[in-house]
Amino acid sequence: MPPDPVARNAILVAEDIIVRFDTPEGPLTAVDNVSFEVRQGEFLSVIGPSGCGKSTLFNVIGGLLSSHEGIVSVAGETISGPHKSIGMVFQEESTFPWRTVTDNVAFPLELVGMSKAKRVERARHFISLVGLDGFENRYPGELSGGMRQRVSLARTLACEPSILLMDEPFAALDEQTRLLLGDKVLQIQQQLKQTTLLITHNITEAVQMSDRILVMTYRPGKLKRVVEINLPRPRTSEIVGSETFGRYVAQIWNDLREEANRGMRDEEQNALRQEEQAL
Amino acid sequence: MAETGRLRQTAVASPAINPVTLLRIAIILAVLAAWEFLAHSGWLYRDVVPSLLSIGRAMAALLTDRNYYFNLGVTAAEIGAALAIGGSAGLVVGLVLGANRFLARAFEPYLYYLGPTPKIIFFPIMIMWFGVGPESKVALGTLSCFFPVALNVAAGMRQIDKVLVRVGRSFRASTWQMVQKIYLPAMRHPIINGVRLGFGFALIGTLLAETKLSNKGIGFLIIQTYSIFDMPAMYAMLIVLFVLAIGANALIGKLGGLDSIKRN
Ligand SMILES: Nc1ncnc2c1ncn2[C@@H]1O[C@H](COP(=O)(O)OP(=O)(O)OP(=O)(O)O)[C@@H](O)[C@H]1O
Ligand SMILES: [Mg+2]
Repeated sequence: MPPDPVARNAILVAEDIIVRFDTPEGPLTAVDNVSFEVRQGEFLSVIGPSGCGKSTLFNVIGGLLSSHEGIVSVAGETISGPHKSIGMVFQEESTFPWRTVTDNVAFPLELVGMSKAKRVERARHFISLVGLDGFENRYPGELSGGMRQRVSLARTLACEPSILLMDEPFAALDEQTRLLLGDKVLQIQQQLKQTTLLITHNITEAVQMSDRILVMTYRPGKLKRVVEINLPRPRTSEIVGSETFGRYVAQIWNDLREEANRGMRDEEQNALRQEEQAL
Repeated sequence: MAETGRLRQTAVASPAINPVTLLRIAIILAVLAAWEFLAHSGWLYRDVVPSLLSIGRAMAALLTDRNYYFNLGVTAAEIGAALAIGGSAGLVVGLVLGANRFLARAFEPYLYYLGPTPKIIFFPIMIMWFGVGPESKVALGTLSCFFPVALNVAAGMRQIDKVLVRVGRSFRASTWQMVQKIYLPAMRHPIINGVRLGFGFALIGTLLAETKLSNKGIGFLIIQTYSIFDMPAMYAMLIVLFVLAIGANALIGKLGGLDSIKRN
């Protein structure tokens, strides 16, 4: 491997990321020494059990957390805040309740001063892409949770970021919609050669979409394994039935089961300890 | 005014007259009847409870009196100025305290102690500083409405969904864009509530100051009618004032309400 990340074609580099939080129970290491690179145009997924620090890592890469150790760089340039080529889709409900669907999706375009006619047209395009035709003038309060999540996705896609970060964007969707929307995102990603980092705890989703998968351990969140997915592209949701696909899923499932078990035990013990303290 | 508007709305909502509306009308009629009965009973000192007819006549005289409108204008301008100055100062201070935990910890205790203190106790100082004219009333009104607005806005800012702030930052919104496109709209309910409370306090502060020491304004007129014991005129003024206050409050609520029906 050439020493220079740019020479290795790495567009996004995370080096020795450590995040600690002060909690009432003492310091908690949410992300422990995580390093990885994302190559130009690559689709990388991060998978791990709930509470392992995925969202924390996501916020660090997005430049939204400042109290961490380690360096994140985009195209060789160390970031010190949200980077212009990164677009983020958050795990939480994040639509603006006072804006219509169109105005929500047009929000980032409004910030950069695009004319109204142009941004509405662009917003329409992405609204239709996530399958929300006919809901342009509705307010988020009038939509279902899954529909609101699609609005957030469209809003981030609308600024066509060259690096897309997504934190469980499909978690609120049913299986069918998840697969269809996953296909759409994959299609756009391939078209725009978008570098994508997807955070998920859905193994099928990760294997279906990714070039590589990083498996994280339960607290403290470290990298447990990196899995290369050598499946032909273009991939659609049909690939899910193939035998190779099944092998990948089984392999990751094994890794995750260990971690999930550890997580559950940990939380049970915590609960027990708290009960004892309460007594 | 506002009351009939509301009644008409409920009537439209349900074709048959709804029992609540009926009861409301009955309450008003009962109060009026009791009032009229007391007025004619002779139990009370003359004119403490004047007859409805004499109040009506006083009201007609009042509403055709140009001098009354002049004084009404004076008071309205004072309240408007107090609300504008105190409200915007409260908004800015609230935004700063809501955004900065350090400043909030340092300053908010003072706001909480000063907030509920009756501001009228500062009136002598205001007179010394600003004279007996409208300026001292504006000053007292400003002081009265500053606190509820500042406290409401600061509390509202802390209740903003954090993820919306992160969304704005991730799209690299400037500070001004964050305020204008995220903080203010996200806080529209607490802001409207703060302005509503602020309006009430500005009204009380200003009128109270006028009744204490002044030479024009509604408070001055009310005290004048009281001192010559013209009870019908005094009641007429109170009623008009009451209706105007309700109307203004409904207007403020509506400005905020239009937003909140669908957008939340
Ligand atoms: N602001 C914070 N203060 C204190 N602790 C935090 C904070 N944010 C996260 N944590 C803790 O850090 C750990 C990792 O949280 P994080 O949200 O990154 O998990 P996650 O992997 O995204 O989980 P999930 O899959 O459930 O979304 C958790 O134990 C959480 O309690
Ligand atoms: Mg998360």
